[in-house]
Amino acid sequence: MAQANPSIPLGGGVEEVKKKSKIDSNNTLVRVAKYTGLRIITLGITVIIGIYLTILIANMGGYVDEIRRAQIREDVGARVAGNPTMRNLPAEVKRQKIAEMVAIEEKRYGMDQPFITRSARYLGNAIQLNLGYALKMNSNSGSKLVRNILLERLPPTLLLFATADIILFFISLFFALALSRQYGSFFDKVLITLTPLSSAPGWFYGIFLILIFASMLKILPFGGMVDAPPPKTPFLYFLSLMKHMILPVLSLAISKIFIQVFSWRTFFLIYSSEDYVDMAKAKGLTSRDIERRYILRPTLPTIITSFALLIIGIWTGGPILETIFNWPGLGRTFYQAIGQFDTPVIIGEAVIFSYLLAATVFLLDIIYAIVDPRVKIGGESSSI
Amino acid sequence: MEKEKLLRIEDLVLHFSTTHGAVQAVDGVEFSLDYNKAVVILGESGCGKSSLAKAILRLLPRNIAKYSGKIYLGDTDIMLLSDETFRQDVRWVMLSMVPQAAMNALNPVIKVGDQVAEPAIIHLGVKKDEAMRMAKEMFQRVGVPEDFLSRYPFELSGGMRQRVAIAMALVTLPSLIILDEPTSALDLLTQANIFNVLKRIKQELGTSYILITHDIATSSELADDVAIMYAGQIIETSDAMRFFTEPLHPYSKLLMASVPRLRADADPIFITGQPPSLISLSSGCRFAPRCPSRFDKCDQDPPTADVGGRKIKCWLFS
Amino acid sequence: MKSLKKNFQELLKYPSAVVGLILVLVLVAISIYAMVTIPYNEAIILWRGGEDQWYRNPKYALPKWVNYFRKDKLPESIALSTIDHPEYKTVETNEDGSAIITIEIPFEYNYEILPVDLMIRFTSNFQEKAPFISVSWIRPDGEKIRIKNLSISPKQDYRVSQDKDLQKKLGGNKIEVGLFTDYKNDPKTIEKGKYTLKIEGATFEKDSDFDAEFIAYGKVAGLGGTDHLRRDLIVALLWGAPIALAFGLLAAVGTTLTQMIIAALGTWFGGWVDILIQRITEINLVLPFLPILIMIGTFYSRSIWVILTAVIILNIFGTGIKTFRAVFMQTKETPYIEAARAYGASNTRIIFSYMVPRILPMLIPQFIILIPSYVFLEASLAVLGLGDPTLPTWGKVIDEARANGALFQGWYYWVIEPSILLMLTGLAFAMLGFSLDRIFNPRLREM
Repeated sequence: MAQANPSIPLGGGVEEVKKKSKIDSNNTLVRVAKYTGLRIITLGITVIIGIYLTILIANMGGYVDEIRRAQIREDVGARVAGNPTMRNLPAEVKRQKIAEMVAIEEKRYGMDQPFITRSARYLGNAIQLNLGYALKMNSNSGSKLVRNILLERLPPTLLLFATADIILFFISLFFALALSRQYGSFFDKVLITLTPLSSAPGWFYGIFLILIFASMLKILPFGGMVDAPPPKTPFLYFLSLMKHMILPVLSLAISKIFIQVFSWRTFFLIYSSEDYVDMAKAKGLTSRDIERRYILRPTLPTIITSFALLIIGIWTGGPILETIFNWPGLGRTFYQAIGQFDTPVIIGEAVIFSYLLAATVFLLDIIYAIVDPRVKIGGESSSI
Repeated sequence: MEKEKLLRIEDLVLHFSTTHGAVQAVDGVEFSLDYNKAVVILGESGCGKSSLAKAILRLLPRNIAKYSGKIYLGDTDIMLLSDETFRQDVRWVMLSMVPQAAMNALNPVIKVGDQVAEPAIIHLGVKKDEAMRMAKEMFQRVGVPEDFLSRYPFELSGGMRQRVAIAMALVTLPSLIILDEPTSALDLLTQANIFNVLKRIKQELGTSYILITHDIATSSELADDVAIMYAGQIIETSDAMRFFTEPLHPYSKLLMASVPRLRADADPIFITGQPPSLISLSSGCRFAPRCPSRFDKCDQDPPTADVGGRKIKCWLFS
Repeated sequence: MKSLKKNFQELLKYPSAVVGLILVLVLVAISIYAMVTIPYNEAIILWRGGEDQWYRNPKYALPKWVNYFRKDKLPESIALSTIDHPEYKTVETNEDGSAIITIEIPFEYNYEILPVDLMIRFTSNFQEKAPFISVSWIRPDGEKIRIKNLSISPKQDYRVSQDKDLQKKLGGNKIEVGLFTDYKNDPKTIEKGKYTLKIEGATFEKDSDFDAEFIAYGKVAGLGGTDHLRRDLIVALLWGAPIALAFGLLAAVGTTLTQMIIAALGTWFGGWVDILIQRITEINLVLPFLPILIMIGTFYSRSIWVILTAVIILNIFGTGIKTFRAVFMQTKETPYIEAARAYGASNTRIIFSYMVPRILPMLIPQFIILIPSYVFLEASLAVLGLGDPTLPTWGKVIDEARANGALFQGWYYWVIEPSILLMLTGLAFAMLGFSLDRIFNPRLREM
């Protein structure tokens, strides 16, 4: 960095400095792009490892092999049934032919190869969400492809959890800021008393909410995403959707909000005792400006990290919450798959959750990078 | 007839309440400052210097036990102003500050140019472009390259940050700047440079300074007046010239004698004992326990005597 | 760190800490009580249920103690057996070995509400010819109603309330109405008083015998109420405590200690060890924890030990490592560690005298606060149907309640009882942990 001679006002050297600043701004873009690219690669590797682990665990009982074998048999069976010459062979001959074809297919798929190669193959397939056929379950359109089943159930899950996350974020932020201004006040003490409530997960409060609002008071539905039969007009559909989202979102909120507000309010309090906050006050900024630019802005990276952990925690509880509320998403599908021991779907769910988690972390990483200038300029490489 | 002074502080008191008792950090401070002059407040660590700065700037923590006194800027007692009026009319308009460690005093996520321009936008009501122009001009004055306007504090060296802090304190052209140990975190060379900047600005812009420090040597360059602070009180005020040639208060004498000199024959003298805790203060002269010239009258709080325009708080002169 | 006593005294100043501590002690007391009064093996057998364990209980009955809060008491079950009360039975043997056996089972019925179901369980033994009996019902006013004649197999349950012929005989009303009220005139009022069930029967062989047990299923049973398998929930409610505590504690302590050790190793050795640990932590963050647990539970084993191990393994590279690492890093670079090494302090001494006291204030609240999440994790798995099949846990009870429609049918006690216990456990440790954290790690000191 150019260090000007302190006793001489700037004169010569300004041109040098101007040129350098242009290069620097290009560098910023390059640095951000580099950072994003690096994160994608890192997360990608993480997802691959995660999926591979899933395959490992599943195949220790031979389940992934089983899926492949079942698929082969089904394909061969379909081929034989669809081939007029083969279809009409006598039973004994047909059986032998099928066995031969199955053996050929198994060899082709490398079923006789050592585990490493087999698992690498599965991995390749799994990453592309090529997850085979479900044993018993169907998608709404009748497809048995695991990928279709899962992708179909993805939007409701995203809808529910994204809504809950966004609401939680802004409400927590609002209350955390408000309470950090009133340290030691009555509401502050109330908050501290209520934080242990966050030890219970969302589904737990869900059961109680259903008990009170659906069973006893009968004003809100027991579960599901919309009324059955679904309303005709988009507007009524929307209203019904909203009505059904109230309890699940409320359950998540009760479970997570107190600890979030508490930890963020603690962050704000800690950050508000920084010297630059005093400086801002000395400069004559209004309290609102100080809060916004000198407390909230610097704390934002920490808050985002904390929020990331929260979201990951919510994903973890997803299957149970959806099951309790009969929400037609990935979580409930997981539950159904367990009940029916539908192995391909179970494994597929684990894979897709891997992707979802990675996507969440990536998204938050990007936001973190935007918010923390040290990342943009390439000071320290910090990440979640 | 006495010329109006820029600053007149009378009986300024600031006590903090802690679990161990009230800390009497600023306990009846009194001094004054003319226009375009620099006063150096000298004292050991823990004598209440930084609290004095906070008291003048009304940067009060939550645990205040007592806060009173009169602070006249021109003819206005700013202690009487409401917080909002203080914020609008005094902060960074009449008074500004250069903090000790600028790294901690600059917002890490906002560009330094924006931070320097900020007071101009708030107090002078100018638009962003104009404020940035003013910031750029201040950068020039303090010797920071223009392209640093768009940098973040962590990209700057310690010396640069301190200059930025000075630029920030200047941007609204206040009459008085309080500098709290502005160079203690920097190396000697940078220190010298910073003081040159300060001197130049005083010349060019007519600013006045209150310089709070324990560094006698460098501050002597800048000072027009000297005030010695001990245990929350000002015990001697004097013009710099007479002070450095002949300090009067016993503490001042010992203080000057403790400064190592390049060409002196005698070794520096250490002052025995410790400065008193600001919580449990005796009723008599606070320096008495360590004073070589103490006598029986020192059990009572000494009055402040006027010795040829200098003020001494010591029984030896009353 | 201040001495233990001083810390404890300060802890008592926080009301939530005191409440938390009391609750924890209550839970420990319940656990001890459970383990002492119903030894483990017995509990498992009891909980497995089955024909002979719980048949005396009605299904879906409220707990007995709700009657304290009611004016019109709900009837308790009445189960009277000739095996327990041989005095009910009189046997008149003949020379050829056959016998006339008369059984009279008396009972008082003073409730305002009818029993839910009536049943007689017969046991008999014979070689070829089954005993033949006649069952009659004697009301308090003396009226005798012929119920049924039948011959009884070695084990036979006669469901009185399902006897259609009897129902016709009693005017088409519900059996209980017919038997307990003067249904011809006033079917709403129950005749209170002494009833007798009379069974007169004949056996036709030497040593042939039969016994009868009369059961009038009530609406309340047991201390915890009953479930779909007629089990008294109190067994699961009591035993849920030690299981929850054990699981929570083992998981929390296991993960926290291991995390601490890993973080310590990372900071001590630095270099590639540290980097490797950080990478693994990142990967672990993205691993879908619950789905993997679900896979393990579905494919391999639902045994609580397997799950516990899996949980610990999946969690040891969790985010807790970052906090520990931060403290270790801080400690490692402080001057007094350098000074200690300079004067030749051994590594053990440095670790135990310097690092451990710095880490304990972080460690203890951390693992206490973690306990509820593991307790709820076990419950979560149970609710998904992946709970340990043999163990009576609170989560299991909630799962069964849900699966049997407790929320729809209004059997709220079935859900509320285990839920309250779960909640109390969570609150207890959370309150205690949070208070400890505030004492050990005061971050807002100057405020």
